[in-house]
Amino acid sequence: MSWYPGFLHWLVLSTILFSIGIYGVLSRKSALGVLIAIELMLNSTAINFIVFNRFISPAALDGALMVIFIIAVAAAEAVVAMAIFVAIFRSRKTVDVSQFDTMKG
Amino acid sequence: MSAGDFAYTLSFYFFGVVAVIAALAAVSSDRILRAAVGLAVTLVCGAAFYILLNYDFIAAIQILVYVGGIVVLIVYAIMLTSSSELVESHPGSFRKALAILAAILFLVFSVTALIKTNFSAESSAPPPDEIARALGRMILDTGSSGYVLPFEIISLLLLAAVIGAMVIARAYRLQSTGSEKGKRGA
Repeated sequence: MSWYPGFLHWLVLSTILFSIGIYGVLSRKSALGVLIAIELMLNSTAINFIVFNRFISPAALDGALMVIFIIAVAAAEAVVAMAIFVAIFRSRKTVDVSQFDTMKG
Repeated sequence: MSAGDFAYTLSFYFFGVVAVIAALAAVSSDRILRAAVGLAVTLVCGAAFYILLNYDFIAAIQILVYVGGIVVLIVYAIMLTSSSELVESHPGSFRKALAILAAILFLVFSVTALIKTNFSAESSAPPPDEIARALGRMILDTGSSGYVLPFEIISLLLLAAVIGAMVIARAYRLQSTGSEKGKRGA
């Protein structure tokens, strides 16, 4: 195995970033921390798309286009999440995810 | 190994290590504002990866929208919910251990699968000369390989998200001043 970064090096790097995101989603208590971890995971997915695009079919650009869509969806998600957090903070004075039990049956 | 290859290898490991350290800071920092800064550094490293893989246009979008837009939005959310003064209450050690276990299991399984899978290049044709121009043509192409319908759907989604965010953030304010309004009416 050489040091020169090939296909596998890139994929392992994005997998490491994704696992860090998984750890963040599961261990954070603040809702904003969870949002930050989700953004990390989205970013590592985008890196994966680019890497597959570059090494599997460099002539096509479908992977690069998917990254644009991922970034757009991430922006929409961050906007809605921020609105929800602000609204919840107004009524409950906390953004601790373990306190969010309004919809509990 | 030529000088260009050496620079490529060196940048890969440099930005890779910086990205992993910043990501670890983003998920484990006690102060949520520092976590946001860690996220920003990771995203800038992501843009560097795109440049290393020759997708300059995507790197520019990453910096503009992700770092300039989403991270700023998250910082605003931190300020508005005054989480910046709050120190993250430490998760229980059991929960932390379970989270580490889940992350490591995912990492081990994925890397094993990646090593075992034999990926083969579909074609060795060179990438288009002007990637931004080719991307623009693909987005507005109404043919079978075009993306005009997803493009329209994503613009509708963004519009819906903006309106929805305004409605959600507004509705609670109206509700909380509802009693005041009632008093004024009476």
